[in-house]
Amino acid sequence: MRTFTILLQKEFRESWRSFKFLWMPLLFIFLGISDPLTNYYMEDILNAVGNLPEGFSVTLPEYAPIDILKASTGQFQSLGLIVLVITVAGMINRERQSGTATLIYVRPISFMALFMSKWTAASALGMISAILGYAGSLYYTSILYGSVKFIVFMEMVMSYCVWILFASAVALMFSAMFKTALATACTIIALPVAIMIESLIGQYWHISPWKLADYSVQLIAETNNEYYLKTLLLTIILTVLAIILGILFTRKNAAATKI
Amino acid sequence: MAAINWALIAPLLVIQAILLIVALIDLIRIHATNGPKWVWAIVIILVNIIGPIVYFIFGRKTS
Amino acid sequence: MITVEHLSKVYGTEKAVADLSFTLEAGTSTALIGPNGAGKTTALSMLTGLLKPTNGSVRMENVQDIRREIGFLPQYPHFYPWLTALEFTEMAAKLNGVPSRHAKKQAESVLDFVGLKNDKFKKTAAFSGGMKQRLGIAQAIVHKPKLLVLDEPVSALDPVGRREMMILLKQLQQQSTILYSTHILNDAEEMTGQLLFLQKGRLVEQGSLKDIRAKFDSFRYKVQFSSKGEALHFASQSPWPTAVEDCDVFIEINENVPTMQQLMSQLIGLPFSIEKVERVTMTLEEIFMKVVGQ
Repeated sequence: MRTFTILLQKEFRESWRSFKFLWMPLLFIFLGISDPLTNYYMEDILNAVGNLPEGFSVTLPEYAPIDILKASTGQFQSLGLIVLVITVAGMINRERQSGTATLIYVRPISFMALFMSKWTAASALGMISAILGYAGSLYYTSILYGSVKFIVFMEMVMSYCVWILFASAVALMFSAMFKTALATACTIIALPVAIMIESLIGQYWHISPWKLADYSVQLIAETNNEYYLKTLLLTIILTVLAIILGILFTRKNAAATKI
Repeated sequence: MAAINWALIAPLLVIQAILLIVALIDLIRIHATNGPKWVWAIVIILVNIIGPIVYFIFGRKTS
Repeated sequence: MITVEHLSKVYGTEKAVADLSFTLEAGTSTALIGPNGAGKTTALSMLTGLLKPTNGSVRMENVQDIRREIGFLPQYPHFYPWLTALEFTEMAAKLNGVPSRHAKKQAESVLDFVGLKNDKFKKTAAFSGGMKQRLGIAQAIVHKPKLLVLDEPVSALDPVGRREMMILLKQLQQQSTILYSTHILNDAEEMTGQLLFLQKGRLVEQGSLKDIRAKFDSFRYKVQFSSKGEALHFASQSPWPTAVEDCDVFIEINENVPTMQQLMSQLIGLPFSIEKVERVTMTLEEIFMKVVGQ
C-alpha cells in the first residue's frame, strides 16, 4: 500500500508537470461545448458558407437535450478517447524503453502497486476530463435546448466513468504487453476503432462494453433498458481481467527495461 | 442573420487561447523536443486546438 | 556476506553468463573485469534482481528480499526529467522502505555527500553526464544498502568527472560492500580489492590484485639506451632472450635469467650511454590478456 501511494504521487506529479491535467480537461470541455454551439448556430453557419439557392430554407431538426448529450458523447468517444488512450498506451512501455524504469524496478516494489498507481492516475485524468466535458455540454444544453434532470445526468456521467476505467485498464494492459508503437496500435483498434465497428454492425448483439457509453446517454431518457446492467457488469469484469493481465505482463516484461 | 451572442462563443475562444499560450510557454522552457522547436511553434500556432494537443502528446521529450 | 552460486543466463543457445560462483565478504570491494560483451551487465542485472537467472542463486546472509539491501547504479542512469534531484532521491529512499519522516533528510545528506548540494532543487532534465552519475550514486546509497552494485561507474565520464567519481568511490569503499564492473583496468587497479576476470560469460580467474600478480605477473628489466642502434646492438650480444622496442631493451626474468648484479656487470663494459635501468611489472591489462590467453 505504501509503495502504491509513493508511486501514485510520482504519477500525479508527472501528469501535473506535463500539463496533462490542464490540456486533457480543456480538450474535453471544448468537445463538450462545441456540439451544443454548432448545432445552435447551424443555420447561420450554413447561410454563411453554403451558397444556398434563393428562397431555399433549411429546416433543421428540433434537438432535444438528449440529442445534444448524445452528440457530445460521440465526440468524447472519438477524438477525446483517441487522445486519452494514446497517452495511456505509453505509460509503462515508454519508461522501459527510456530506461527510467530501471531505477524503480531494482527496488523492492510490487508490480501490482506499480500498475495500479498508473491505472489510478490514468483513470483520474480521464474521469476528470469526461466529467468537466459533460458539465460544459450540460451547461450549454440547458441554456440553449432545455434542462435535464440533474440526478439522471449524474447517473449518465458515473456510468460513462465506468467506461473510462475500462478504457484506461485496456490501454495500460497493452502498454505493459508491447512496445509503444504496437501498444498504441492495439489500443486504438481495441477502443476507438472497435466503437466504430460496434456502431456499424452492433445491432446483432446487445451486451458489450463498447455499447456502454450509448446506454449511459440513454439513461437520460429514463426508459428501461434490460441490457444496461448486464453491460455494466460485463464491463467491470473485463476491467478486472485487463488489470490482472496488465499486472502479470508488467512483471513478465520488467527485464525488458533498458539498463 | 441572427446576431451572434459572443458570451456564448467566448469560452471556446478562451480554451483555444489557454491551450495555445501554455503550449508555447512550455515549448520555450522545455530542454528538448522531438523534432525542431520551430516546427512545433508553427504547428501550435497554426493548427487550432489540435496543434497544442499534438505538441503535448508527441512533441515533449519525456526522457 | 553475499553468496553467488552457479549463476547462469542463457538466451536461446547463447550463454551470456555461465556458471558464475563467487562470494563477497562484507566491507570489501570487488571488481568484475572483462571486455565489452563479457557478460558483466547481465551478471549484475541478475544480482540486482532485474533479470531472472536461467539457473543459480544469489543469497545474502539474513536477508529475505535481496532488493531491499542492494543499491544499484546502471552504466547510464536515466531519471525522470520532470523530477528534481531531491524529489527523485527521496522517492528512492521511500520505495526502499525508509520511513517518510527520515526520507527527505537522508536524501539531502546523500546529495550533499555526492556534491549536488547546490543542484538538489534542479530538475534532472538539466543535468550533465557527471551530475547524473553522482545523482545515480546518491539514489543507490540513500537507503544505506548492504551491497552497492555499480555498472561501469566511471567509463562514460570525461577525465575530470572520472577523477571526482574515483574519489567518491574510494570514500564509499570505507563504509560499504561494493561490487562494480569495469573494462578499464586501471580503475580496478586503483580501487584494489578482489578481482573477478570474466570472459565470454565465464569466470576465468579470481583473487586479490596481489594474488593474481604473484600468479601471473612476470617481471622484466628495462634498459633504456640513448639510440635504437645501441639498443639493437646490446640485444644481439645479450646472453638472455630480449625484446627491443625503440631505445628500450626488455629482458624477461625467470629461473635462468639474470639478477640485477649480473645485468649491471654486463652493462658496465659497454661503450654506450645508458639512460635508465629498471624493473617493470605488468599492467593489469597485460595480466588480463595473459589470463584469457591472448
